[in-house]
Amino acid sequence: METLKRAFNDRRAVVGALILIVLGLMALLAPLLAQHPPSQLSNDTWLHPNSQHWLGTTALGQDVFSQLLYGSRLSLLVGLVTGLIATVISVIVGLASAFFGGVVDDILSGITNIFLVLPGLPLVIVAAAYLQVSGVVPVIAVISFTGWAWGARVLRSQALSLRDRDFVQAAVAGGEGPLRVIFAEILPNMVGLIAANFFGAALYAVLAEAGLEFLGVGDVSQVTWGTMLYWAQSSQALLQGAWPWIATPGLCIAALGTAFALLNFAVDEVANPRLRSERVAAESKPLALKPAGAPPAGDALLQLRHLEAGYLTEKGTVRAVKDVNLEVHRGEFLGIAGESGCGKSTLAFAVAQLLRPPGQVLSGEVWLNGQELVRLPPEALRQTRWKDFSMVFQSSMNALNPVMRVGDQIADAMRAHGVSDKSLIEARVKELFGMVGIRPEYMVAYPHQLSGGMKQRVVIAIALALEPRLVIMDEPTTALDVVVQRSILQEIDAVRRRLNLSIVFITHDLSLLVEMSDRVAIMYAGEIVELAPSHDLYANPLHPYTRRLMNAFPPLEGERTRRDGIAGRPPDLGRVIQGCPFAPRCDRAMTGLCEVVAPLRLEVSAGHVVACHLYDPNVMKGRAEDHAIAAD
Amino acid sequence: MLYLLHKFALLLLTLWAALTINFFLPRLVPGNPIGAMIAKYQGRLDPNAAKALMIAYGLEGHDKNVLTQYGDYLFKLTKGDLGRSISFFPAPVTEMIGGAAPWTIGLVGVSTVFSFLLGSGLGVYTAARRGSRFADALVPLALFLNSVPYFWFALIALYVFAFLLGWFPLGGGVDIVTGPNWSLSWILSVVAHAILPGATIVLTAMGGWLIAMRNNLVSTLGEDYVAFARAKGLSETRVLYAYGIRNAILPSLTAFGMALGFVLGGSILTEVVFGYPGLGTLLYHSVTSLDYPLMQAIFLFISLAVLVANFLVDATYALLDPRVRTGQA
Repeated sequence: METLKRAFNDRRAVVGALILIVLGLMALLAPLLAQHPPSQLSNDTWLHPNSQHWLGTTALGQDVFSQLLYGSRLSLLVGLVTGLIATVISVIVGLASAFFGGVVDDILSGITNIFLVLPGLPLVIVAAAYLQVSGVVPVIAVISFTGWAWGARVLRSQALSLRDRDFVQAAVAGGEGPLRVIFAEILPNMVGLIAANFFGAALYAVLAEAGLEFLGVGDVSQVTWGTMLYWAQSSQALLQGAWPWIATPGLCIAALGTAFALLNFAVDEVANPRLRSERVAAESKPLALKPAGAPPAGDALLQLRHLEAGYLTEKGTVRAVKDVNLEVHRGEFLGIAGESGCGKSTLAFAVAQLLRPPGQVLSGEVWLNGQELVRLPPEALRQTRWKDFSMVFQSSMNALNPVMRVGDQIADAMRAHGVSDKSLIEARVKELFGMVGIRPEYMVAYPHQLSGGMKQRVVIAIALALEPRLVIMDEPTTALDVVVQRSILQEIDAVRRRLNLSIVFITHDLSLLVEMSDRVAIMYAGEIVELAPSHDLYANPLHPYTRRLMNAFPPLEGERTRRDGIAGRPPDLGRVIQGCPFAPRCDRAMTGLCEVVAPLRLEVSAGHVVACHLYDPNVMKGRAEDHAIAAD
Repeated sequence: MLYLLHKFALLLLTLWAALTINFFLPRLVPGNPIGAMIAKYQGRLDPNAAKALMIAYGLEGHDKNVLTQYGDYLFKLTKGDLGRSISFFPAPVTEMIGGAAPWTIGLVGVSTVFSFLLGSGLGVYTAARRGSRFADALVPLALFLNSVPYFWFALIALYVFAFLLGWFPLGGGVDIVTGPNWSLSWILSVVAHAILPGATIVLTAMGGWLIAMRNNLVSTLGEDYVAFARAKGLSETRVLYAYGIRNAILPSLTAFGMALGFVLGGSILTEVVFGYPGLGTLLYHSVTSLDYPLMQAIFLFISLAVLVANFLVDATYALLDPRVRTGQA
């Protein structure tokens, strides 16, 4: 239901609903509004619009305006009822197909496919011609009969993907009967799609009905917009100059169809999250950024200064990265760890200038090799990309273009940066494939022909293509099994040492980072709460969150004991957080302090920075004094 | 290859379904369609035609059961025998279809391809330029065009551009007095007659393609591989074409195959409005004169045309999508 509610926040849906309401009122109030009975004949034929007959009269002297009003009744009825019947058939066929699978699915999908390609309108015309229809019931029947297939197909694939989701699996495993699963678990999650389908089917019904009636195949004795057009056309109304007789029913049909189409479009957009986020994207405007400061003086390759990034949503700004200050040195392996939802990926995308609206860098600076990336013009940024820094995505399964050979996906990156010699490119691709452990024959393979691990290696090979100074890796190996993961990591590290690359490696697997990194940063709620050389962090984790993270993974050596997770969840980044964001989950939180005052970032030993009141000598001294006073 | 075989099997299956529907429709209808037809013609029907009809519909000897009739029907079809027209007795319906089909294939085929290309092109534009006023205004306009009945739009166009302004002929497929077929003047006349009906089909069908392509492309531009392409520093044009459109066109193609039947149905009505000498007008004629054999044959032919077109689209799809081509979809 949420999707439907949200759909009505959309201007298009509102317009669609308004049109529908106006047409509905026409149908309801026809007896009050019409000055003449719709079918009453008179001698006043072919009258032009006048005060008696607002839209003129027909060849038989009937009032066009009255016909238009009364015509809306059947036209609306057929559209809505047919849409409903077709949708019900779609839902039943689609769900049965998806839920029962096997032979049932084969048969139902086969029938659906047949109905999808059979030309609907000619079939309806022929069927209606045989039925010699009277009344609207046969019209509704034949149009429903041909109009359900598209919906069944769409709903089937949606139900299939729902069926594999955890909550449905859980319900099935929990012994719930198929009907209960369908009605309690699957249907409520398909409301948006079903609604979109209903409007689509209703649109088809309105047009098919109008077409049938126009041909005179329906029951032409009834007053509908379609039959009005039939009589108008067979009386050659346009040649008589009686254009309102033709223009108005057609416009009404188009208006009704548009109303359904608008509603279909709006609901579809809400039900399809991707279309939706893109809509917000189109509407959000970039913020004005303050000019950047002076370039960094030190030898850091990458320097982040007060970097803030987030997402502009309808409910306000979600600040996913807050005041991050960080340096990465040449040849350094920097790890960033934290639970999911802590802003790690947003940070990576913000550094790489890859946030797409509604996401964006809100303020701060990203200095890479003397260039400030946030404020770099698009073309300069494009040229810097991949040459100076590259990025490996979290979801490498989807990072490769499915219709392009993987070798070409390396080649086009090289060509975009000025390497045009074909043999040079080919040699380089071979070399890169060797570097990441893939046989060169796979250069001509398409992504779907590779395993997950191989795709990941290809993505890493692409990232290394132009020997950038910095590679940002956003959970590059999370989706892979441990053995593959290890071998890929070793290769990355070997390449790093050979080429003196800097790597920013993001993962939720802290034990992995401790093993591989020079330094590790711990992120929580968009902030870096601890930063230390990895051996230091391992030996002496300070922040209570880091300690809990450490404890959540088995130690590298020694006895295996039961691990506890961390109770609770990271905070909602859309809200303003007071005090220390970890305070509500922290077992060492100091009441009256931690949830009120945000801790400062302090360097407690060489290179070891932590943001926690426990390590702030001023705070602790003050508290000790308070305790002393209280004890007195 | 497996994919194309599968699609071909579907074609045959669907064709069989169309044949079967065609066979059973007149038999499922309450009452006696032939009786209705004979009654309608009120003795003006050629006795031979009436007899041929009775035989064709198996209504003569009640000794044959439905299955035998069905077998006979299929057997006759394999020989290309679809019976004779009632309203133009004794013309074989295949001959009549042969006369009308080229007009429809020319008009509807060309304008459908045009509208697909134009609509998809504009769909790309509206997706790539989201946020610009003109691009965003095109979307509701497309929804409106997609909701306009084809024949109504045709009527208005005919009235304004042919009747009031006199820019185009009022109807028909070609002027009779323009000289021999395929002479220059004949061709020009054909084109002049096709422009207005063609334009109405292009305009009304375009909206659907526009919306489909726009939504596909918007979805595709949100894919990880597009973000990755951008991260590689490819130009926006390259990202849009090789990564965005190249992938977004695939579901659009599938939709093209599916919508073909609908577009063709709409075009039938357009033909009627313009008195265009194609299958649509012929179907209309057969429906109004209760010429069942002709009606059925036209339905079969249209089904066949749609199925073949669909198969061609599927084959194109296979060319464009390596996942299908290598049989691992």
